Amino acid sequence: MKSLVPAILSALVTIFSAFTPQQALAASPEKPKEVRFAYLNGPRPWILGKVDKSFDKAFGTPVKWINFASGPSALQALAAGEIDIARCGSTPVTSALVKKVPLEVIAVSGVIDGSERLVARKSIASIKDLEGHAVAYPAGSTAHYALQAVFKVYGVDSSKVKQVNLKPAEQLAAWKRGDVQAAYVWGPFWNQMVAEDGHELLRTGQLQDKGYYIFNAYVVSKKFATEHPDLVVSFLSVFEDTVKRYKADPDGSAAIIAKELGQDAEAAKQTLAGLAFPSLKEQLQVSLLGNGKNTADSNIAKGLAATAQFLVELGELQKNSLPPSFAPGINTSFLEKAAAK
Amino acid sequence: MKEFPAPLTIQSRVAISVASVIGLIILWHASGRFEWVSPLVLPPPEEVWGSARDMLQDGYRQMPLWMHVASSVGRALIAFAAAIAAGVPLGLSMGIFPVLSALLDPFVQFFRPLPKLALIPLVILWLGIGEASKIFLIFFSTLFTVVVGCAAAVRGVGQGKLRLGEALGATHWQLLRFIILPGALPEVFTSIRLAIGVGWTTLIASEMVAAESGLGWMVMNASSYMRTDVVMLGIIFLGLTGYLLDLCIVILQKFAVPWAGKD
Repeated sequence: MKSLVPAILSALVTIFSAFTPQQALAASPEKPKEVRFAYLNGPRPWILGKVDKSFDKAFGTPVKWINFASGPSALQALAAGEIDIARCGSTPVTSALVKKVPLEVIAVSGVIDGSERLVARKSIASIKDLEGHAVAYPAGSTAHYALQAVFKVYGVDSSKVKQVNLKPAEQLAAWKRGDVQAAYVWGPFWNQMVAEDGHELLRTGQLQDKGYYIFNAYVVSKKFATEHPDLVVSFLSVFEDTVKRYKADPDGSAAIIAKELGQDAEAAKQTLAGLAFPSLKEQLQVSLLGNGKNTADSNIAKGLAATAQFLVELGELQKNSLPPSFAPGINTSFLEKAAAK
Repeated sequence: MKEFPAPLTIQSRVAISVASVIGLIILWHASGRFEWVSPLVLPPPEEVWGSARDMLQDGYRQMPLWMHVASSVGRALIAFAAAIAAGVPLGLSMGIFPVLSALLDPFVQFFRPLPKLALIPLVILWLGIGEASKIFLIFFSTLFTVVVGCAAAVRGVGQGKLRLGEALGATHWQLLRFIILPGALPEVFTSIRLAIGVGWTTLIASEMVAAESGLGWMVMNASSYMRTDVVMLGIIFLGLTGYLLDLCIVILQKFAVPWAGKD
C-alpha cells in the first residue's frame, strides 16, 4: 500500500506542472487562448461574424460563442469570470452596474424600436383595454421595463393588470392556451403571437420621445478590457463591419443569421428591421454614449439611470445602492479608437 | 477488527452540530472580511442579515417574507398530501399484487428519474400558468418515490412471518392488517421522508412557471437582478423550511410507528 504515496505525489506534480505554464500565459498581455462571447437568441448582425469567423480572424485567436436564454444569466456568467464580451439589454446591464459587476459598456449594439413589441389578442383594441387582462413579460428584461413605461405613459392602472412573469418560449405556450391575452416580448416570439390571433399595440421605439431610451449594449469584463484593449477595439471594428454587411443586404443577411440560430428567416428579418444600428461615429455623440467628457449627459447614461430608478420602484434594487452617475460604467475609449480607424 | 465508534450522547451530538454551524458562519464572515471572494459572488453574512431585516420589515416585492414562505409551503403540502394519498395505496398494492406491479412498473421507472424541469413547457400547455401547474410539478416528482418505496416496503416484510400467519389460519384481510401493514409502515415513512426531500427540491422548478410569490420564485427573480444577498436569504429559508418539514415527518414517524427498528 505504501507505494501508492509516491505514485500520488508524482501524479500531483504532473498535474501542477501541467497547469503552471497556462497560468503564466494568462497573466501575460499576450493573446488570450480564446475570447468568450455571450450571445442571446435574438437575431443580430454580429451573428454574421459567428458564421464566417471574422472575429476569430481579426483577433488572431479563436472565439467561443456561448448561448444564454436571457441577459441576466449572461451577465451572471460574466460576473463569474466565464465571459469576456456580452451583448444584452439595458435592463440587465443596469442591475449589473448597480451591483458593481466589474464590467464596462463599450457600445450600443442596437437601439430597440420594433424588435420588441407589446402584442395582444385582436379583441383588445387599445393599451388602456389591458386592464382586466393578463400580460406576460420576461422579468428583468428590456421588455419588462418597457411594459412598466407603457403603464405610466398611457395611464394604465397597473394594479388592474395581471402581470405574469414568463420566459418568451413559455409565453407562447400560455398564449396558445389563452392564459395570457397580451405579452411584451422580442422577436421571433411576438411574430408568432401576431400570427395566432394577435395584433400589435405598441413598439418600444414609440417610447423614445416619452423619455424612455431602451437599447442593447455590448459590455466587456473589466479584466479583459485592461488586459486586451486592442482586441476590444478590433471587436468594435468587426461589429461595425457586420452591421454594414447587414445594411447592404438585409434579406440575405437575415437568412444567414436565422439559419445559424435555427429560426424562421422572415421573423428574423422583421426583428432586425425593428432595430436601429447607429454607426460607431454616431455613438460618440451625446445622443448616444458621448465622447467620454460629456458621457454623463448622454442618452445612454441617462437611460441607465432611469432604468435603475424604475428597478428601485419595483423593489428589485435597493435605493441606497444606486451610483450617483452611470458614466463611470461606460468606457468610450475603445469606441473612439475604432471609429478613428 | 476495530469496533465502530460508540454513538454519542444527545447533548454532545447537539453541541458538535451547533459548533459546526457556528464555525461555518465564522468562515463565511471571514471570507468577506478578508476579501477572499468578491461580495458579489458570496455576500458576507452581515449583508444577508441586513437584507433579511429589510425584508422582514418591507417584504420582498410588496409581499411580506412570511407570505413567500407560506405560499411555497402551501404548494408543497398540497402536493405532498396528494402524492401520499395516491402513492401509498398504489405502492402497497403494487407490492402485494405482482401483476399490478408488472403492469405499472415500466411507467414508474420511466417517470421517476425524469428531470422534472423538462416537463415545464408541457405542464404549461396542459395545466396553464396558475397554481395547478406548480402543484402538479411537485406532486409528480414526489409520487414515484412514494410508490417505489411503498412497493419495496411490502416486499421487505418477512416471508417467514407471512407463512406463520397463514399456518395459524389468518385470513387475507388479517394478514394485511396485522402483518403486512405494521411490517411495511416504517419503510413507508422512510419513503415519504425521501419523497418530501425530492419534492422540496422541485419547488424552484415549479415556481419558475409564472409565479409571483414563493421562496423558489424569490431566488430566481432576485438572480435576474444580481441580488445575490436575496438569493442567499432565499436559499437559507428554503433549507430551513425543508429541514423543519423533515423534522415533522421524523416526529410523526416516532408516534405512528414506535415499533420501527425494533424487529
